[in-house]
This record gives sequence, C-alpha cells and structure tokens, in this order.
Amino acid sequence: MSVFDGLKFRKVFSPIHNLDPRIKFIYVIAIFISAILFHQILPLAILFLIQLPFVFMARVQKQWVKSLRGAAFLASFIFIINILTKFFYNNWTLTAFDIESALGMTMRFIVLVESFSVFFLTTSPDHLGLALEQSRIPYEFAFAFTTAVRFVPVLAEEAQTIMDAQKARGLELEKGNLLKRIRNYIPILIPLIVSAIRRSLELAEAMESRAWGAAKKRTNLYLLKLHKGDYILIGITTIVLIITIYVRLFLFNSIPLISSFFF
Amino acid sequence: MTIIKISDLVYTYPGASKPSIDGLSLNIEKGEFVLITGPSGCGKTSLCRTFNGLIPHFYQGVLKGQIIVAGQDVTDKQTFEMAKHVGLVFQNPENQLFALSVEKDVAFGLENLGMPRAEMRKRVDWALNLAGIYDLRERSPHEVSGGQQQRVAIASVLAMQPEIIVLDEPTSFLDPLSAERIFEVIYKLNQEQGITVVLVEHRLDLTAKYTNHLVVMDKGKICFEGNPRDILCNEEISRIGVGIPKATLLYKRLKAAGFDVNMQTPLSSDELAEQLLKVLDV
Repeated sequence: MSVFDGLKFRKVFSPIHNLDPRIKFIYVIAIFISAILFHQILPLAILFLIQLPFVFMARVQKQWVKSLRGAAFLASFIFIINILTKFFYNNWTLTAFDIESALGMTMRFIVLVESFSVFFLTTSPDHLGLALEQSRIPYEFAFAFTTAVRFVPVLAEEAQTIMDAQKARGLELEKGNLLKRIRNYIPILIPLIVSAIRRSLELAEAMESRAWGAAKKRTNLYLLKLHKGDYILIGITTIVLIITIYVRLFLFNSIPLISSFFF
Repeated sequence: MTIIKISDLVYTYPGASKPSIDGLSLNIEKGEFVLITGPSGCGKTSLCRTFNGLIPHFYQGVLKGQIIVAGQDVTDKQTFEMAKHVGLVFQNPENQLFALSVEKDVAFGLENLGMPRAEMRKRVDWALNLAGIYDLRERSPHEVSGGQQQRVAIASVLAMQPEIIVLDEPTSFLDPLSAERIFEVIYKLNQEQGITVVLVEHRLDLTAKYTNHLVVMDKGKICFEGNPRDILCNEEISRIGVGIPKATLLYKRLKAAGFDVNMQTPLSSDELAEQLLKVLDV
C-alpha cells in the first residue's frame, strides 16, 4: 500500500502544526507572490532560507527533503530549458549572467514547491476541513473534502483486498505490454467502483439518520481561534510582504547579481 | 405507553416484484428491549428503515399501512425530523462514520441540528462516557477497532438523545467478545437511561437473555412474537432458520430424553448451568 502512504497524514504536534490553517495559507500566498516578483537569485535564496526555521520547528525535515527531491526533476528541466533558450537566443553563446538567470528561475520554482510542501506537511486534513467549513465555503464542499480524506485509507485497503482476491483467482497484473497491463486492472477497478457506490449509499443513509440538512445554519463542535503563534505569523507575513514590495519598487535595479562579484 | 405502532404495513422497494414487508403489525412499548430475528432477507432491515422514515422518504417505493413512532406519523415527517426521536445504528461500522476524529463524529448529528457549541460539548462528552469511549475521542475513527467503531456509532446517535435506538445487526462485523461488550452497552442504556431499544440480531446465544419481547420474522411477516422462553421452545421455530441458543437446545434435548429438570427455559449458558447445579444438588 506504499502508493497511498503519502496520502495519510500522521498526527504530529508542533507549534507549526497548531497554527491556524487560514493564516498559514495566507503566509504561503505571500511567499508565492514574493517569489513571482523577483527573478534574481539573491532575494529568492533569502525567501528559500527564511522558510527553513518553519521546517525544523515542525520537525518535518525528512518529508520536506523528500518533496524537494520529487521536485528535482522538474527543477532541472526548468534549468535546462532556460539555458537552452538563452543559448540559442544569444547566437550560440552563454554568459555567466545567463546561467545565473536560469538558476534564478529554478530557484523560484523551488521556493514555490517549498512553501506549499510546508503548508501541506504541517496541516492536518481535519484542520484543513475545519478551515474550509469556517471560511464561508458551503458546508457540502467541506464535507466532501473531509469524507474523501477519511475514505482514502479505507478504499486503499479495499483495493488491496480485491487485488489479492483476483490474483488468487489467477489474474496476472504484471504481465504483457503497457496497454495490456492497464487492461489487467479492469477486474480490479470494476468491483472497486461498485463497492464504492454501495458504500456511498450506506453513507447517505447514515447521514440522513443523523439529521443531515435539519437546520439551515449548521453549528460546529470546534471553533478555530487565533492564538499567539498565529499573530506572530501574521506579523512575519506582513513584514515579508512590506520588505518585498519596498525592495521591488525602490531597490529592484540595485539588487546585486552573484556573478557580478566575479567578473 | 406504546412508542412504536405499526399497523398492516406493506412495503415494496422500487422495481421489486414482491413486497419486502408483507402485512406486518407490531406494537412496542416505551422502555422495552425488543429483539428481532429471522433469516436473511426476511425484511428485518427494511423494518428498521421504516422507524425513522428512510423508508419511504429515502428509498421511495410503495408503502401501505400506518407507522406511528414517538407520536409522529413517519410518512409525514422527513428523516431529519425523525432523527431526533429515533437513532439508527447500522451493520457496517465503517460506513456510518464520516469525520476525522471520533469526537467530531459524535457531534455530527448535533451540528446538523444547529445546537450551540457549549451544549454540544456537554452532550458529546456525555455520550462518549456512556459508550465507554471517552479516551478515544481524539483518535481517527478508521484507526480504532471494529468494536470501538460500533461504539462510536452508538455514541453518535446517543448524543442526539433519542427515545428509541434501533440497531440493525450491529455486531455482524465483530468477534464474539466485542459483540458481547456492545450488547452490554446497549443493555445498560436500556436499563439506566430508559431508552427503548430495538435490536436486530442473529446471535440469540448472547442476546436472548436481555429481552422479554422477541419478534421472529420470516418472508416479510411476523411469525412469532412474545417471551423468548416460550417461543424458543416451539418446534416450528427451528424450521425457519433461527439460531436458537445452545443452552435452550440442550434443555430441549434433556426434556425430550425424559429428564424432568423442572425449570424454566434457559436462555444463556450461565442460566442453564446455575439451574442444573440446583437440580443436581451439587
């Protein structure tokens, strides 16, 4: 079931995990905007570095490194495409500045991946669902989201059972060419879909029996409240945004290039 | 006081050729512990669905006859209105829990009713304690055992403080020990909280001792109704396919073999053992 392991969220308690997901999301958006505003490597490197404390405070280094490694392929792709276009565009010549700007583009991508992975690594699905519920999104959507998350492991287990059952009856999954292999999965998918539909009917029945749709205004057992940490994060976000906008407006052309130190 | 009154009920699922419930009348008194049993496909589950209006509102189909539950005519009321009076616990514990924490699942019904948070908190804790799962409240429902999941399901209907709890084969996914624990929780609710319990169950071995109102169904009808001590002695019942408790079977054989054990029909092994010891004068 290793494929589905990544989708399971493990409960960890850290100051970062306890932050309000809405504030964390605003912070991610702020980093996102800042990364878009610059193409030079220096400010992007700073944006990369200021997120490291979050990763260590949340103690998710291992998963974080894994997600960066996952992004490495795309990052190198971006780097190569940038180098190649510069190379052809400048009549088959390549300068240190070109390499630096290609590196800057790659860095921007890495910063984006980094900030989103910190968000998803430190926000539990129920926290996220709760944030959805309490940010005026219709409850049906929030419910669909949490239910989907809730049933991922259940369906994964069921898929495994069906796979075992079909294999026991002689189905060979790893046989033939690509097309054949895809076709091999049909005897797994059909029972899985049928049982998922049956399950959804039972769920609907259980929801009805527990007064689904009784009150126009639904209440919630939990209330998301802002704590000290959330205010600190709001502060950090504001400072990052102010500095970004200031530098972008007034100092943009005086940002030094790393390569200019050498040449 | 009669809390459930069903008269001449005939119900056919949409697209079905013959009715699943075929002329059934049943009265259940407030505070009773009613046990319904019968072979698979005899209409037990359909009957359960009529108690809170899943039949006919959710399942459509053709319904004739009258169902009055807790003073409400089920055919006039929506299921969410009936949910305040009747709590339904289903067979598969996995498919009736939706939230990502036990506590939130127990609160689900109350959230739907729009209850203020402070009161909801109180009710949730109360229900968790009654079902004996207070310690599990922060866990995720899919990572606790089947028996615990079923107790979460019981707590979640309990939180809505219904007058009646209906359990449709709540232990068919559980091992005997977890099943027994579930029955004890249910029995306690019946005795201490005065909640009317309707339990659908095959395992009479474990449950017959709790009730004095047994209903045996077959082919959409009630064929026997009354005290289990009388019904389970009946010869015809073994032909329908009802799991008669082993203690009762042994008693019947002893009697047939000519032993005059002179005692009331035992419903559980403990009862039989106790009475046999008395007779044997050990």
